[in-house]
Amino acid sequence: MNYPFWVVPWLGGGWVIGIISIIHVFVSHFAVGGGAFLAITEQMAYKRATEHQDFRVYDYLKKHSLFFLLVTTVLGVIFGPGIWWSISLASPAATGVLIQEYTLLWAFEYVVFAVELATFFVYYYTWDRMPRKRHLQLAWIYFFISILTLVTINGMLTFLMTPGDWVETHQWYDGYFNPTYWPSTVLRLLVMFGIAGMYALVTSSKLQDEGFRTDMLRYSAKWLLPVFFLGPLVAYWYFLNVPQASIDTVFDGIHNSGLGNLSILARALYLSLILSGAILVYAFVGPYLNPRAFSFKAALVFLVFGLIVTGVSEWVRELLRKPYIVYGYMYSNSLLREQVPAVNQAGFLPSAQWPRAMTEQPLSRWEQGELMFRFQCMSCHTTRGYRSMETLLGARQSDDIRRLLEVMRSSDPAENPYLGIMPPVVGHDDELEALAEYLSTLAPTPAPQPMPLENTGPAIPGIPPAE
Amino acid sequence: MGIKLSTQDLYAWLDRRLSLSLYREQATKKTVPLHRQTFWYYMGGFLLVYFVSQVLTGALLMVYYVPEIQSAYASILALNSQVDFGWFFRSLHSWGANILVLFLFIHLFSTYFMKAYRPPREITWWTGLLLLALMFGFGFTGYLLPWDEMAFFATKIGIDITASLPLIGEELALLLRGGTELGQGTLSRFFAIHVMFLPLITLPVLGLHLLLIQLHGISEPRWFQKLPADKQTHEAFFPTFMLKDVMGWVVAFGLLAILVALRPWELGPEAEPFAPAPEGIKPEWYFLFLFQLLRILPGTIGPLEGEHVGMLLFGLAVAGLVLMPLWDTGQSTWRSRIAVGYGWTLLFLFVALTIWGMLW
Repeated sequence: MNYPFWVVPWLGGGWVIGIISIIHVFVSHFAVGGGAFLAITEQMAYKRATEHQDFRVYDYLKKHSLFFLLVTTVLGVIFGPGIWWSISLASPAATGVLIQEYTLLWAFEYVVFAVELATFFVYYYTWDRMPRKRHLQLAWIYFFISILTLVTINGMLTFLMTPGDWVETHQWYDGYFNPTYWPSTVLRLLVMFGIAGMYALVTSSKLQDEGFRTDMLRYSAKWLLPVFFLGPLVAYWYFLNVPQASIDTVFDGIHNSGLGNLSILARALYLSLILSGAILVYAFVGPYLNPRAFSFKAALVFLVFGLIVTGVSEWVRELLRKPYIVYGYMYSNSLLREQVPAVNQAGFLPSAQWPRAMTEQPLSRWEQGELMFRFQCMSCHTTRGYRSMETLLGARQSDDIRRLLEVMRSSDPAENPYLGIMPPVVGHDDELEALAEYLSTLAPTPAPQPMPLENTGPAIPGIPPAE
Repeated sequence: MGIKLSTQDLYAWLDRRLSLSLYREQATKKTVPLHRQTFWYYMGGFLLVYFVSQVLTGALLMVYYVPEIQSAYASILALNSQVDFGWFFRSLHSWGANILVLFLFIHLFSTYFMKAYRPPREITWWTGLLLLALMFGFGFTGYLLPWDEMAFFATKIGIDITASLPLIGEELALLLRGGTELGQGTLSRFFAIHVMFLPLITLPVLGLHLLLIQLHGISEPRWFQKLPADKQTHEAFFPTFMLKDVMGWVVAFGLLAILVALRPWELGPEAEPFAPAPEGIKPEWYFLFLFQLLRILPGTIGPLEGEHVGMLLFGLAVAGLVLMPLWDTGQSTWRSRIAVGYGWTLLFLFVALTIWGMLW
């Protein structure tokens, strides 16, 4: 609320971050899991070459590493900075917290990232130019460095979901080594191995030597096994450390997003589980049981499925954080939890820097309401689009909306059933009034009175005539 | 002392009683042509998955559904909101019905353009058309069962269209309604047709359709048959094609799960038979082409009523599909070309009228 608001019509800023992040996760996880794949597979290649003079795995790895280089560097370079671009526009306050709390760790992450890239370029461009043993060592170095990027960044990512004691102490290490740090690190590692296997299926499916192709497809499919056998256990460990209020919101739901297991959070979680199961069956009946018939197109379909599962799972993780962006500290609309009483007393528009600047010139009531909407609602809602106010408000009139806002103003969960997923509405009575009036202008215009079926002699009884 | 039972022993025991080896041998011998249009062969498998899903979810819905007009809506409401995963299975059933019909159309047109109706597969084609009609019947009767506003009035329109058929229309409408107005009689009849009569007809027709596919093998396009023998590639049905088919099933079910989870099937307000019909009442999308056709026709065309002309056109289009195997037997190039043109015309009209109906 202290920065200008970035309005993204129809889609909303959250989804701009979401789309970029989901693709980035799918690529960056490949960069780490793929590092393990390269190292372990090159170890196998080294053994086969030394013991049996079989160089086919080496030939495969050379091509696979080109694919790896293109995907991780080109897409990584586009979508990695893309995340910073989008989060700094859509959530500048939370981005500020991340940077200020972990300045040195971010610097360390960038150094590690630069070393990772440099190592991989050396790795790729030294095929056949370096003794095989040395090249294998380089693969393991890359693997180690890529793991380090995960281990470093994961503390800052999990901080947003479970900042732990940081909320009280504001010590960086309390936020960094937070309750979900270890389960999340292990879970992501398992997922990364699975994603590495999925990408390897794409490159393996292009091999020409039928026997070797079969071997490599089966080998690549096995990379999905760890996440499927250990994943559920680690996910359970993760959920044990997620705040109980978030778990309750998932399975109890709230009005407007469905109750009980119909809640959008529960549905997204089930979808993630169903599609993960579908991936397991696909990998088993496809590349493992039937490698000869597993085509490049089938591998691409598999990759798309993987991307969808990644997207849904990351979306669930994001929803778990609701109504916060830094759990227990900053709400999704950038309002600090501890500020709520003071803002209620002083009024929202005078308390927030950017709206205050905008109110220096006289604003109409509609404009005041629109300003309230932007800074309190638009981080998650759009007027007509994703989580559209037009749909959510239905045919409510200004008075009904005003009463609804009054309910949403309370910070007591017993009075405000929306608290589990939405921040409380803050501000003076007249600001809420302006917001209600503005919102009532978003409601759909009332439909004309329905006409009886037996109208004006249509061609067919019951069908309105052609116009 | 102990009983040692290996998998081979168990297989041998079952084989002696069920002749499993015979089926296995048959399945291994069967081959599937491998060419650039092979993708369309998977549509049948997709349909089978969706059909099985409909049967299973339908059976589960029957546990809670009450086919009585005072309770039907409430039972679905309770299923949606109070029964664990009730929304999930209902959405699987409702979305599944729509996806099933969509893939039926894809299967219909893909087999049509691959000329899979030609001799000796005429009966396979006719049973396929009959299955499509039966699925339309399932869709029409199932849509009313929740007894919500949209279903009630859309069904009313559907029955009114039936009543407008010449000669038998009124009697047929009376039979479907179970009276002069939509009410308990209609609901009971639709329920019985949906869960008993249609399945009783569908299962043997489906069985015959699948049996004929086994007997004649998978149809090969003419251009593929003309290739030299060494250029014609085939793959074993079992396990190769079968396992690929299972991969397709996984994708098919995954798509359905995405729809179900992200857009659970909604339930409108309860039907009020004496209330005026709300605006924008339309039938399900797969009836829209017919609905739109009847809407755009004027009240009278020459000496005939507009709706009669509409139904006649629809009847002619269906008759064309039914008679196509007798017309285009593969002996004449010009007949084959006309058949292709006819197919594209139907496809274009179907898509255009459906989209027009949606946007109207």
